[in-house]
Amino acid sequence: MILELSEEALEYGREARRAFAAAGGDELLLAAEADPARRAELGTSVLAGLGAWELEPYADAESAEAAAALCRAAGHALLPYPVAERLARVGDTDALLVVADTNPAAPIGGLELTWTAVTLDGRLHTAAPRGPVHDGFVRELELDAGGQQSDAALAMGLVLGCWTLLGMLDRAIELTVAHVRLRQQFGQPLAKFQGAQFQLTDAEVERSGLEMLAKYALWSGHAAPEDAVDDALALRAAAIEAAEVVFRVCHQLHGASGFCDETTLSWVSRYSQPLRRLPHGLSATRELLATRIGRRGLTGLYTP
Amino acid sequence: MTDPQAFREQVRAWCAEHVPTDWRATQADTSETEFAAFQQDWFATLHAAGYAVPHWPAEWGGGMSMAHQVVLYSELAAHDAPRLVLAFVGIHHAASTLLVAGTDEQRRRHLPAILDGEIWVQGFSEPEAGSDLASLRTTARRDGDEFVVNGQKLWASGGAHADWCLLLARTDPDAPKRRGISYFLMDMRSPGVTVRPIRNALGDSHFCEVFLNDVRIPEANLIGAENAGWQVAQATLGAERGMTMLELAERLGNAGLRWLAAACPPGDAVAADRLAGFEIEIAGLRGLCADLVERSHAGTAGAAGASIVKLYYSELLQRMTDFGAELGGVAAHTVLTKPQSSGWESGSWVLDFIGSWEWTIPGGASEIQRTIIAERGLGLPREPGVA
Repeated sequence: MILELSEEALEYGREARRAFAAAGGDELLLAAEADPARRAELGTSVLAGLGAWELEPYADAESAEAAAALCRAAGHALLPYPVAERLARVGDTDALLVVADTNPAAPIGGLELTWTAVTLDGRLHTAAPRGPVHDGFVRELELDAGGQQSDAALAMGLVLGCWTLLGMLDRAIELTVAHVRLRQQFGQPLAKFQGAQFQLTDAEVERSGLEMLAKYALWSGHAAPEDAVDDALALRAAAIEAAEVVFRVCHQLHGASGFCDETTLSWVSRYSQPLRRLPHGLSATRELLATRIGRRGLTGLYTP
Repeated sequence: MTDPQAFREQVRAWCAEHVPTDWRATQADTSETEFAAFQQDWFATLHAAGYAVPHWPAEWGGGMSMAHQVVLYSELAAHDAPRLVLAFVGIHHAASTLLVAGTDEQRRRHLPAILDGEIWVQGFSEPEAGSDLASLRTTARRDGDEFVVNGQKLWASGGAHADWCLLLARTDPDAPKRRGISYFLMDMRSPGVTVRPIRNALGDSHFCEVFLNDVRIPEANLIGAENAGWQVAQATLGAERGMTMLELAERLGNAGLRWLAAACPPGDAVAADRLAGFEIEIAGLRGLCADLVERSHAGTAGAAGASIVKLYYSELLQRMTDFGAELGGVAAHTVLTKPQSSGWESGSWVLDFIGSWEWTIPGGASEIQRTIIAERGLGLPREPGVA
């Protein structure tokens, strides 16, 4: 497996972060929330400038690594644009959405794109949004009966979405480390209290574990396609769990300010919700995984 | 007074007749004015039955035994009655402060007014004084028989509706930080008081910032001795925690758990397993609350009992509302209309989940509760280097 993304992919991720900051940073999300119809305009030019649409994550592993680095940077920047969904596109539609087969929905409000949806059985559907745009840009979807099966699309959609969420966790931890260094109580920065340090270390351990699983699932998508969906579901379950721990800790250490919109954490936390809850939360994800792998278990790195 | 079982029947009959059945729907999409009017009406309805302030002394309109209060709160929860959200600080914190430390005149002025609908807010936290409340910087300078107050208060929940404020301010800047604070009753209509609502992650604005600019408070509104405000606050805060926690625990055990069970997909062993775990934890929470109430009444409560209950409740609440948001699927995520007048089990699970974060922070953050449990409960030494 890959223990670290290639230097090219890492540099691409750094370049993306700089480009998102130069394009407006967090202001982009504020503008998109005020008017979801502006999401396309706010996201597309910066992504085109980064050459995002030339990436071919299904075709080669290097491109997949660059796509992962880009999703992570987009999550970190709270970019109000479905980068993972567009990079995972299949056929001749603009983007791929991983959805539940009952009440399908995705954070696509305000965007005029063509959508393919993949349900968790790997079946591809043509999807059309319907109804109003809810909080977090979520809209319900109308799916057709479905046709072709693509485990590769399902795995790619799940994995790149987790890279976006990983970027959000990076950001939440960064914001919290900065906050506890600055915030003084009882005559010293919160960072000096071991109780605060240990909470952050627990969050960092979760984030690190998720990062490693994200690299593993990205690798297995190319190197072991027969395991790709299982590994993607395992990654997804781990991502939801890690997000729960990281946001709990980051909110707790931010105190009351962390859920006021004057702090960035409040926005990161709110916009992490669709990624954590759609297409399924933890129980349903585990159930799916358990049903798929039965008593066989994951192949993993050391299966002879 | 009737025996508790007969009283239970009496409360049930009253609830059947008086608890509005449609309040969750009507309170889901309501203006702040309608919310305030609904709260005042519900308070008056409860008060007419003797159920609004059962914990007050009889001479002020309460006098219900502990056993009867437990029955009352469990039945109100079981009948899914609206909560007293606006009156909460008044009937609990303000009243206990007045009863423990107020003068007769202060009690005569405010306790009947609270029963008539006077709304209170707590003005304790500041931008630089959260968990470390004693480092607060708002000043109150004596000027003849008045105090002149300047500073800023934060997280004053419900501040926009409040008539009066429980205010802590520094009266002796040269004294050690816990010995130079005084406790005041401040009229929120005084010149120089500005309230600014803060939008939170739920999209609502019940937290407020309160700016105090040369606000004049008469000496008669000092509660307790000058510079003894910290000691007064210590003596009065938490006095009500047992019964208010019991009420919240009952809410979680009734509406909260019932709806989760109803939303649980039949035959889903993973979800059923987690639900069973919550049922067990709620049983533990109810036991802890009942024990705290009885021990507080008997004067035998341990120094860490209230902290244990708060920590247990708040962390359970976060996990339960998270699970609710998960079970509720897309609907839980997209139907973002939390009924006002509800607790943290409004059924709008994503909002309840985000709102549940508040519980581990105010009223003594979980870190403070853990410190109390470690130091006063287990007798462990204080963390080194803490001012």
